[in-house]
Amino acid sequence: MASSQSGTGVSGLARLQSALPFSSRDWGLLLVAPGVLLFSSFMLYPIFYLFYISLTDATFAGSVIGGGAELIGLANYVQLIGDSQFWTSMTTTWLFVAVSLVIKVFLAVGIALLLNHVRVAGKRYMRAAVIVPLGFPGIFTITVWRGMFSDARYGVFNTILGRYNEFMSSLSAPELLLFDVPIGFLSGRWEAFFAYVTTEVWLAYPFMVIIIVSALQDVPRSLHEAAMVDGAGALQRFRTVTLPAIKGPVLFASILTAATSFQQFLIPWVFNQGGPSRQNELIIVYGYREAITFNQFGLSAAILIVGIAFVGMFMYVAVRYGGLAEGVGDE
Amino acid sequence: MSPLDSATGLIGGALALVRSKLVGLATAPKRFSVLVQRAVYDVRTGKRSSWDVTKSVIMTLFGLVMVLVLLFPLFWITTASLAEGSRLFNTSGIFPDPSTYNLGAYRWVIFESDFFFVDGDWGYPQLVLGGGGGLVSFRWAGTETGPGALFNSLYIVSVTLAAGFGMIVPAAYAFSRRQFVARKRILYGYVLFTQIGAGLSIATLVALYSLFSSYGLTNNLFVLGLFYAAGAIPFNTWLLKTYMDNIPVSYEEAAMVDGASFLDTIREVILPLTKPGLAVVLIFVWLAGWNEFIIAQTLLRPENYPLSVELYNIATEGRFSTPWTRFAAFANLFALPVAIVYFAAQRSVEDGLSFGGMEG
Repeated sequence: MASSQSGTGVSGLARLQSALPFSSRDWGLLLVAPGVLLFSSFMLYPIFYLFYISLTDATFAGSVIGGGAELIGLANYVQLIGDSQFWTSMTTTWLFVAVSLVIKVFLAVGIALLLNHVRVAGKRYMRAAVIVPLGFPGIFTITVWRGMFSDARYGVFNTILGRYNEFMSSLSAPELLLFDVPIGFLSGRWEAFFAYVTTEVWLAYPFMVIIIVSALQDVPRSLHEAAMVDGAGALQRFRTVTLPAIKGPVLFASILTAATSFQQFLIPWVFNQGGPSRQNELIIVYGYREAITFNQFGLSAAILIVGIAFVGMFMYVAVRYGGLAEGVGDE
Repeated sequence: MSPLDSATGLIGGALALVRSKLVGLATAPKRFSVLVQRAVYDVRTGKRSSWDVTKSVIMTLFGLVMVLVLLFPLFWITTASLAEGSRLFNTSGIFPDPSTYNLGAYRWVIFESDFFFVDGDWGYPQLVLGGGGGLVSFRWAGTETGPGALFNSLYIVSVTLAAGFGMIVPAAYAFSRRQFVARKRILYGYVLFTQIGAGLSIATLVALYSLFSSYGLTNNLFVLGLFYAAGAIPFNTWLLKTYMDNIPVSYEEAAMVDGASFLDTIREVILPLTKPGLAVVLIFVWLAGWNEFIIAQTLLRPENYPLSVELYNIATEGRFSTPWTRFAAFANLFALPVAIVYFAAQRSVEDGLSFGGMEG
């Protein structure tokens, strides 16, 4: 940040300035402008255009382009409020975000603590291994998970559950502990929801682990040792030393992964297109479906605008309370 | 330092990194055995109690089991890619029988799928004198069909990289070193958009499709590449800007005192010191163009499909009939080169992801 160091570097910056081909103070804007222009035309402009479509009665792409659509004000939004499918989608989306976030946080903190533990040998290799999911394209890993959640009797999870049943039966365990295989992971509502959450957690935990591990590594060992000398048990040390160190980063990562979970499209779409019978359509899938399958462009645009508004809210919270924009200020 | 020099420097750096990783991996067993010997010695001489060592062993085993469970899906799909011809879901268990392992699926990807050439019909390059308006022109001969999805992907990615780098690097420099009108406001705007790439572009798909159609830009790989670059700009500009903030201004000042011109400071100070940051941006921008497929599938016609769309099509051929072995082989060839670079640069990627300065 130039300005924060200007106290010491005035003469240098002045020289820098005078060596320039042109003298205006604002020439930096020229370097930024192309990117802003490209970003605005491909990202911001479509959002505004989407908002415009949401105010029309457009039914398919042609009616948008050909001018066959008419402005109908907020009618699409009014229709949404009365649409039970919209509320199903909203509830499912929020439930998906909340459940996967809670599991993610506990799993990631657990993994990070284990992979930072003095007693674990080969931590560095394990750390490299657990973040592998980040390195592969979503379409690949998500399809693999769909294969593992196959409804077939000999699908991966059904086979594992079958083995588990055999094992438990051999111990003559009560029926209650057995699973009713094969489970139709993708054809039952909550089974599919469970499959979504599992996959989402698997896709997102590496990001959290990275952030938590780097926070843990900044905690000086002497702090732990001091607490031990004072007779603090493991649990107490976690509460007084570890927790304060990772609280901020966990909050930060939570907001960001919640924002990405909220926009999750690929998992439901690849698994069973938000099924069965549209019960698990997360918000983006719902909007996409209305446009692609039912040719309701206007309504679809309204749904997606609502979705974007919520994501915007997440990002606002991240900036406001998560310290996301710490480097922006000129203090 | 010319652009070519910095490019070869970047590649050389990446190769050195891969090499050091490999050396580290190769010497790991040795270091492990030293660790074990040390533990045995400590127990014998009474420095550590055997219970103390046992606790460490249990924790380590626990960690290992956890890693294996987490990576199970990838292990499963890799074994699946080796079992072309045998039924994947059968009574014999989760993993295919190792005795049936074969490379048939990979053969299919290379010589029958559209991965490299349409219908796997390789041909050969040929130089033609005269034709095509120039003195010498280049064409692909011996094949009826033409280049396949890989070339579409590479074309998209090169547009994304060229446009992305051309806009990200200067902008990051300006944000880090310069004051100008609206600087703070633009930066805030970028930060708001850092995490909402993929979902946002699907959300705007309805509008995008209408816009692209009305401007006649559908089925255009060049425009699609630009679109991906646009999506990658906020996050990567912000990332590179934080990276440049950590280079002391005094370095540039010292160079100026020594008589370096403004462009010299960029070439000799800023760019060399930002190299790790540039490598991370390279990976992220590459991935932005390489992985996306929903937009590509909507805007392109089949002859222009990149690898990601082809992969999706294989995956969804039928709800119950995904050809797992072929899918796995195709996906491995698609993802592995990128994954290798990614893990070679893992440390820098991690730093990039934790946004620098987040800790604390």
